[in-house]
Amino acid sequence: MKKAFSLLLMMLLVVSLFLTGCSGNKASNGASGGGGKNFTYWYPWGGDSEKWDKWRMAEFEKDNKGYKIKATYVPPDGGISNGKLLASITGGNPPDVVISNEYATAYSLAVQGALTPLDDLLKKNKFDDSGVLESFKPLMKYKDKTYLFPQDSNVNLLYYNVKMFKEAGLDPDNPPKTIEELDAAAEKLTKVNNNKIDRLGFIPWLDAGDESYLWGWVFGANFYDPEKNKVELNDPKLQAAYKWMDTYAVKYNPEKIKTFTSGFGGAFSPDHPFFTGKVAMTLNGNWFANAIKIYSPNTEYRVAPIPTPEGGREKATTLGTNVFMIPKGAKNPDAAMKFILAGVQPKVLADNINTWRSISIFKEPSDAIKWDKENDQVYQVVREVSSSPGAGHPALTSVSKEMSNELKLLRDSVIYNHKDPAPLLKAAEDKLQKQADKTK
Amino acid sequence: MLAKRRNLLNGLLFISPWVIGFLVFTTYPLLSSLYYSLTEYNAISEPIFVGLQNYKELLFQDDLFIKGLSNTLYMVFVGLTITTVTTIFIAVLLNYKHIKGMSFFRVIFFLPTLVPLVILSILWIWILQPDSGVVNSFLGLFGIEGPGWFSSPTWAKPAFILMAIWGSGGMIIIYLAGLQGISDSLYEAARIDGANSFQQFFHITLPMLKPVILYNVITGIIGVFQAFAEAFIITQGGPDGSTTFYSLYLYQNAFQYSKMGYASAMAWILLVIALIIMFALFKLSKKWGYNG
Amino acid sequence: MENSPALEKTSINVVQRKLGSTKKTRRYQTAVVYVILILFSLAFIIPFLWLVSGSLKSSSELFTNPGIPKVFHWQNYTQAFSEFPFFLYLKNTLFITSMNIIGSVISCTLIAYGFSRIEWKGRDAVFVLVLVTMLLPFQVTMIPLFMLFQKLGWIGTFLPLTVTPFFGNPFFIFLLRQFFISIPKELSEAAKLDGASEFRIYWNVILPLSKPVIMTVIIFAFLASWGDFIGPLVFLNDNSLYTLSLGIQQIMSVNDPRWPLLLAVGVSMTLPVLIIFFVLQKYFIQGIALSGIKE
Repeated sequence: MKKAFSLLLMMLLVVSLFLTGCSGNKASNGASGGGGKNFTYWYPWGGDSEKWDKWRMAEFEKDNKGYKIKATYVPPDGGISNGKLLASITGGNPPDVVISNEYATAYSLAVQGALTPLDDLLKKNKFDDSGVLESFKPLMKYKDKTYLFPQDSNVNLLYYNVKMFKEAGLDPDNPPKTIEELDAAAEKLTKVNNNKIDRLGFIPWLDAGDESYLWGWVFGANFYDPEKNKVELNDPKLQAAYKWMDTYAVKYNPEKIKTFTSGFGGAFSPDHPFFTGKVAMTLNGNWFANAIKIYSPNTEYRVAPIPTPEGGREKATTLGTNVFMIPKGAKNPDAAMKFILAGVQPKVLADNINTWRSISIFKEPSDAIKWDKENDQVYQVVREVSSSPGAGHPALTSVSKEMSNELKLLRDSVIYNHKDPAPLLKAAEDKLQKQADKTK
Repeated sequence: MLAKRRNLLNGLLFISPWVIGFLVFTTYPLLSSLYYSLTEYNAISEPIFVGLQNYKELLFQDDLFIKGLSNTLYMVFVGLTITTVTTIFIAVLLNYKHIKGMSFFRVIFFLPTLVPLVILSILWIWILQPDSGVVNSFLGLFGIEGPGWFSSPTWAKPAFILMAIWGSGGMIIIYLAGLQGISDSLYEAARIDGANSFQQFFHITLPMLKPVILYNVITGIIGVFQAFAEAFIITQGGPDGSTTFYSLYLYQNAFQYSKMGYASAMAWILLVIALIIMFALFKLSKKWGYNG
Repeated sequence: MENSPALEKTSINVVQRKLGSTKKTRRYQTAVVYVILILFSLAFIIPFLWLVSGSLKSSSELFTNPGIPKVFHWQNYTQAFSEFPFFLYLKNTLFITSMNIIGSVISCTLIAYGFSRIEWKGRDAVFVLVLVTMLLPFQVTMIPLFMLFQKLGWIGTFLPLTVTPFFGNPFFIFLLRQFFISIPKELSEAAKLDGASEFRIYWNVILPLSKPVIMTVIIFAFLASWGDFIGPLVFLNDNSLYTLSLGIQQIMSVNDPRWPLLLAVGVSMTLPVLIIFFVLQKYFIQGIALSGIKE
């Protein structure tokens, strides 16, 4: 009996020792003590992007003596869309600064009140936002307060294969500008023999076309009105976008298309369908140019702004913006802000842009950018698109992630089952509006 | 009297880790999720009590919830039935008396269960690759054009069933153990009586195996309800929502949309459904004359 | 069943009539059974072999050649170990796994002892509760557990994964209890007469006799936490704490998954399990067979 007790005691002791041991660990893992020059940083990227970010951090520590960054790789997007950041905030141990590639989800965190307003910190550091491109301003603010700080951005473009254009009798100097022209070109570029697909001219939902908001945005839909907190999915323009996608599904069975394009070929592998010649045109970000250079240098391609339907947005793109944020309860917001602003200094920004071909959030192109501005066709189109009024961040709402998933499902229903998008959009709108009403 | 008391104390002492665990890691979570299921809670602001609203929304307004539920029930009723029939069939063959190398076969059927889930998922993405995967290449030899598997709304669930069968070696071994526990004299008597193999199977094997079947089916159902990693990794719920399983949608609500209250209501509905199915199974097995 | 009248009605005529054809039928039957078994075995073993062969292919061969690799790309393995933090993840996985094993063995043997070797009022009723918790899908308690751990500040640490096993696992308790019950009572009685306490009996009598079933528990605990995915996914943040399962899934979800490397990691992660299986085969099979047999 006594033995049993002592054993149990021992067990509890071991467990509690173990617990305290680990919590001790954790304390050092989190924001190590308030203020000072130490801060924690979560970033979402591995691979080459991680290497680049480590260089950036080292530069920061070199330029700002005494500062020490405790950086943590938190995939897939800095822990914002899987509850990790929220858990760390409510657990009282958030990082001081986070960068994420999921701006819409980051924005919904701002709406939910999980982030620290940046205005005072920005003022203290004398940051002037008049130099920021207009298309980024709505993203930065929720109800007149600044929560997100964009680092850089990406635009989506139409990539097309020059050789195939010539073969099909199309003029590579004159890429499709409207949806009708795109359809016509796609038709000419497609090769189907005896019911077997050899090549498809274009697949609307491939690559960036798979993104929930892109085509709807191009067709002119707004998805959400921040003024009235109104979800706007039941929109004829959005219906038109899905009906148009369905024309491709009707022409070529979408299961067949998926079979045809499935492979392991991500954009950073030699087996991407654009590289293997399975598709002649596709939508993708500016970074895709870099992927082509590495994995398919022999593919002769060009880029153009995404074609537009009548009544749609011209030279439109959704912006793939990377944003900084400071979570609520961060222990060292001052150091965090210093780091954020260091990221948009000309030196760092230019290196980012030169490496990744991403776009700056500022109106003035930096002199440090070393692209061949005269002859680089991609660069010209990127500039053209990023400064167009058609470039924007749709769905800045607390329900953006759910909306994105709903729209993807809805798209699948349309292309696989040829359902009428109108009632589906209405139903999704009702469901999401109810959700949006809950945030004041 | 004293001995009784001492035994009670001793007994409780020994099971105390379980008692603590049961209270802290089971009872408390269950009750608190019952409470959260009646609230609007985003994990940041305080929960707001909303009564049965989450349940109403789930049951009457959320198509995706219904879809997730029916996908999971499909995996229970169709998937598990197919798996059960296949595994019993294999076990019966393994138990066939004149087979040599039974233990060798047993190892082979068991091996796939040793592959960790994540690896299993990666492996099957590749095996069922529509364009160049092993299965479709094999079908191609016979001039059959294989389906799109994970990229087809019609074939994605069957693909998961195939995966489940491949990983069902544990079930086969349990059935085999059950079969080996059936006395030979029963078959002997039946044979003398002129019963053929099929009659023997339906009149002796199956009834005797009932408790084991019940066990496997129950653990199988729990397994299906919990199944998450495969769909999360392979299909993310697509295409066309055909693999949005209950547990996946619950995860999305909780961690991607921060709808903790809503997801808690889903958890409770899951609990009730699981209990109903278990209860029905026990009733059914009683009715079939199982008295173990 | 045994009393079924149909079975008692033995007819000698039938037996005699049947004897002639039985041998032939049996040989034929055996052949059919073999063929089916071999076909099934192939279906079960081929994906396995494909995992291994895929891990030795080049990226482009992986989806052009479904068969055996033309050239063995062993560098997939060296790359997997150098470019993917394999050993870090392995260390984390091993830590979590061993805590699970230690925790389960200590707590479950004690608990099972309390449920089998000591007679106390209400014992069996409480044990039914244990069995009921076995039927709870993880998703039912996942969210409140997450919130509990969040309040404790445990999210982002190993604690949610390493502390819970110290409070018993219903399935292991069930397995151990079944075994403990089968140990003759007289052994305990004799020890008691010598003045041994319950703990002493547990330690000196029951545990030494229970090595095989403890082995089974160790194996199951190992399998469960080695391949666990949802636990680490929900409870860990920091890449440096990731387990192999979670780490692999993360590199898979990026834009450019490198499949041969993934498969190489996959083989490396499966191999330890295979080795343990072949060494401890009988405990595996016994344990699994045992779990399905009702008391």
